[in-house]
Amino acid sequence: MIEIQNLCKTYGALRALDNLSLTIRPGELFCFLGPNGAGKTTTIKILTGLVRATSGRALVNGTDIQHDPIAIKRQIGYIPDTPYLYERLTVTEFFRFYGELFDIPEPRIAEELERNFTRFGLLEHRGALVKELSHGLRQRLIYATTFLHNPRIMLIDEPFVGLDPYTIRLIKDLLRTHTREGGTILLTTHILAIAEDIADRVGIIHRGRLVALGTPEELHRKHGGDSLEDLFLKLTRPDGA
Amino acid sequence: MPPAKALLTKTRFQLRGTRRVLLEQSRFKVLFITVFALLFEGLLCLVFHDAFRFLNSFGGAGLMMIGRLFALFFLGLGMMLTVSGIVTSYSSLFGSDEIPFLLVRPFSMSTITVYKFIQAAGFASWAFFFVVLPFISAYAWHQRLSPLFVLWTLLFSIPFLFLFAGFGTLAILLAVRWLPRSPRIRNTLLGIGGLLLAAGLFLADPPTAALSDTQFNVTSLIPGLRLAAHPLSPSFWIAEGITSLTHGDTSRGLLFFAALLSSALLTGLVIERVGARTFYDAWQRSSAGSARAHRRPVLLPVLRHLRGLLPSDIAAIITKDIRTFFRDPVQWSQAVVFFGLLALYFFNLRRFNYNLLPDQWRSAIVFLNVFAVSAVLSSLGSRFVYPQLSLEGHSFWLLVLSPATIPRIMAAKFLLAFAATATVSVTLIAVSVNMLGTGPAINAAAIAVIAAVSLSVCGLSTGLGAVFIDLEQRNPAAIVSSFGGTLNIVLCLGYMLAVILPFGVLFHLREIGILDTHTFRNGLAAASAWLLLLTLAATLLPLLFGLRSLYRRLPVKPNKATCPRNNN
Repeated sequence: MIEIQNLCKTYGALRALDNLSLTIRPGELFCFLGPNGAGKTTTIKILTGLVRATSGRALVNGTDIQHDPIAIKRQIGYIPDTPYLYERLTVTEFFRFYGELFDIPEPRIAEELERNFTRFGLLEHRGALVKELSHGLRQRLIYATTFLHNPRIMLIDEPFVGLDPYTIRLIKDLLRTHTREGGTILLTTHILAIAEDIADRVGIIHRGRLVALGTPEELHRKHGGDSLEDLFLKLTRPDGA
Repeated sequence: MPPAKALLTKTRFQLRGTRRVLLEQSRFKVLFITVFALLFEGLLCLVFHDAFRFLNSFGGAGLMMIGRLFALFFLGLGMMLTVSGIVTSYSSLFGSDEIPFLLVRPFSMSTITVYKFIQAAGFASWAFFFVVLPFISAYAWHQRLSPLFVLWTLLFSIPFLFLFAGFGTLAILLAVRWLPRSPRIRNTLLGIGGLLLAAGLFLADPPTAALSDTQFNVTSLIPGLRLAAHPLSPSFWIAEGITSLTHGDTSRGLLFFAALLSSALLTGLVIERVGARTFYDAWQRSSAGSARAHRRPVLLPVLRHLRGLLPSDIAAIITKDIRTFFRDPVQWSQAVVFFGLLALYFFNLRRFNYNLLPDQWRSAIVFLNVFAVSAVLSSLGSRFVYPQLSLEGHSFWLLVLSPATIPRIMAAKFLLAFAATATVSVTLIAVSVNMLGTGPAINAAAIAVIAAVSLSVCGLSTGLGAVFIDLEQRNPAAIVSSFGGTLNIVLCLGYMLAVILPFGVLFHLREIGILDTHTFRNGLAAASAWLLLLTLAATLLPLLFGLRSLYRRLPVKPNKATCPRNNN
C-alpha cells in the first residue's frame, strides 16, 4: 500500500509537488498521468528515497523510506524510464548479481533465470554483454530482474517507451498478474490508451497538484462523457492556450 | 552482508566483461598500446637512473638528496593521489549513473561510500603504479639493491594508495555536504582554506632552520624535503620501511608497514562512518543543485560580445562549448588542478631561490618548465579537446544539418581550444621566465615554443578527434583511451619533445660555453625554422585529415562551402 500525505517538493523557486495526497491500495494498478514536468517522476523518486520531500509524508506499507530505507527497498521494485544497467556484465551475470543483491538462494535464482529468460525471450541473449543489447531487450532484462525479489510495490516510470507491441503486451500481462496476486503498482505514462486499458484508477497531475482522480469510467461519467484524452487536455492546458 | 558480496561478484563479472571487450579489440591496437607502454616505462626508468647518476656526481649534497628523494617522491605521489581522489570520488559518488541504481537497492549508505571509495582508489592506482614502477626500478638499479626492494615497495604502496586517496574521498564528501551553496561564501571559504593550507605547508617546511650548510642548500633547492622526511609523515614511513626491509632490518620495516596499514584502515573506517552520516544528505544536496529552476548564464556579458566579433554560427558553437565546460565540475576541476599546481610552483620559484642559480641552471629550468606545461597541455588536449566532437554524440545531427558547415564546426572547436590553452600556457611561461629573471632571447624562445605547442596540440587533438569520431560513445574516458586517443597523446608528446629539445640544448650549450655566438645564432635560426615547419604540419595536416574523414563518414552530406538554401 502507498500513502502520500500532503507531499510538497520545491527546487528553489520551482514547486514540483504542491500538497499532493493519494492512497493506492494493495492489488491496485494506479496510472499517473500528466504533462512533462508535472511532478510524476518526482513523486516516484520520493517514494524510492532518491529525492527527499520538502514536507509531507510518503509511506510504503505504512513506513516512510527515510525512517527504514533498507527494509522498504526490499519491498519495492523501481524501473526508471532509462534504467541503469552494468554494460560490461552479460545478461546472465546481471540477473545473478541482482539475485545476490537481494540475498535470493542460488537454486531459486537459477530456476527464475530459466523461467524469466524463456518468458522474456532472453534465452538466446543470455551470454551477450548488456552493452550489445537493443533498447527493447534492455527493457525486457530490467523487467525480468526487477520482479526477481518479488516486490510487493512496483514503481514504474514510462514503461512502454520505444517498445514493440509484443513486449508491450508481455509487460501489460506481467503487471496485471502482479496486481491479481495482491501487488501494488504505481506507473506513469503518456500513452492514454494504455492507461485506459490497464489502470484500475487514474490520477491526473498538473503543476504538482492532483486535478483528477478515479477509475477511467468514473472520470468519463464525472466530466460529461469526455474521453480520457479530452479530459487530460482540458485539465492540463498550459496558461494562455 | 549479501549486498556487499553481490558487489564483489559484480566487480568480478565486470572484470571478465572488460577482458572480453579487450579481446574483441584489434590486435594491432592492443599490441601498439602494450609496446608503447613498455617503451615509455623503460625510457622513464632510464631517465630516472640518469638523474640519480647526475645527483651522485655532486658528491655529498647529491648523495643526501638521493637518500631523501625517495621520501619526497612518495610525498609528491601522495599529494597527487589526494587530488586524484577528490576528482574521481566526486565523479563516482555524485556524478555516476550507478548511484541512483544503488540507492534504490538494499545498500546502506556506508556500503555505497566504501564501495565507491575503493573504486576511486582503483582508478587512481594505475597512474600511481605507472609512475612508481620505473622510479623504484631506477632507484634499485642505481643503489644496487636486491630485486626484493621492488616487491616491498609494491606491498607498501597499497596501504599508501588507500591512505592518500581516502583523504581525497573524505575531503569531497565533507565539501559537498557542508560547503555553502552561495558561490560568494563558498569561494571565500575555499580561498581562506587555501591560504591556511599554504601557511601550514610553509610552517611545516620552513626554508631556514638549524641545519648544516649542505643540508640548508639541499632543503632550499628542493621544496617539501623537510616535510617529506618528517617522522610523522607517511612518506617517511614508506621510504624508511622499504629501505629497512631491503637492508634486512625486518622488525623496523614491519613497524613502518604496520603504521601505514593501520592508518589506511583507520581512514577506511572514518570514510565508512562519515559516509553513513553524510553521503545521503550530500547526494541530495548535489542532486538538488543540478535541478535548479533558474541557472545563471555562464559568462553571459563576455560571451554576448562574441556574436559581434565572430560569425553567429561559430559564436553559437563556442558559447555552447564554454557553458558545457563550466557546468561540468569534473572537466574544469581537472584543468584548474593541473594548471593551478603549475602556477603555484612558478609563483614560488623565487622563494626557492631559483633566480639566484647560475645561468646554465636557469636556462635548463626554463625549458623544463616549458616541458612541464607542454606535458599538461598534451594531457588536457587529449582529455578535453580530442573527445569534444565525439561527445556531440547523438546531437551531432543538429550541427551537421544546420547552416554551419563542417569546416566551420571544426574551426569553432579548434579556435576555442587554442584561445583557452594558449592564454593559460603563455601566461604560465611568462610568469616562469619573469620569476627566474632570464634574458630576452631565452624568454622569447620559451614563449614561442609554448605558443606553438598550444597550436599543435589543439590542431592534432581536433583533427584526430574528427578522424576517429565515435558518436555512439558517451563516456569521455572510453573515447580518450581508444586507439585514436592513444595515438593523439603519443603524437602530442612526440611533437612536444621534437620542438623543445633543440631549443633547450642550444641554450644550454651556449650557457656552458660550448657554442660561440655565431654558431648559436645559426642553430637558433635552424631550430626556429624546424619549429615553424613542424607546427604547421602538426596543426594543418590533422585538421585536413579530420575534415576529409568527416565528409566521408557522415551519412548526410552537407554542402562543403556554402549554406544550403531551400529552393521550394
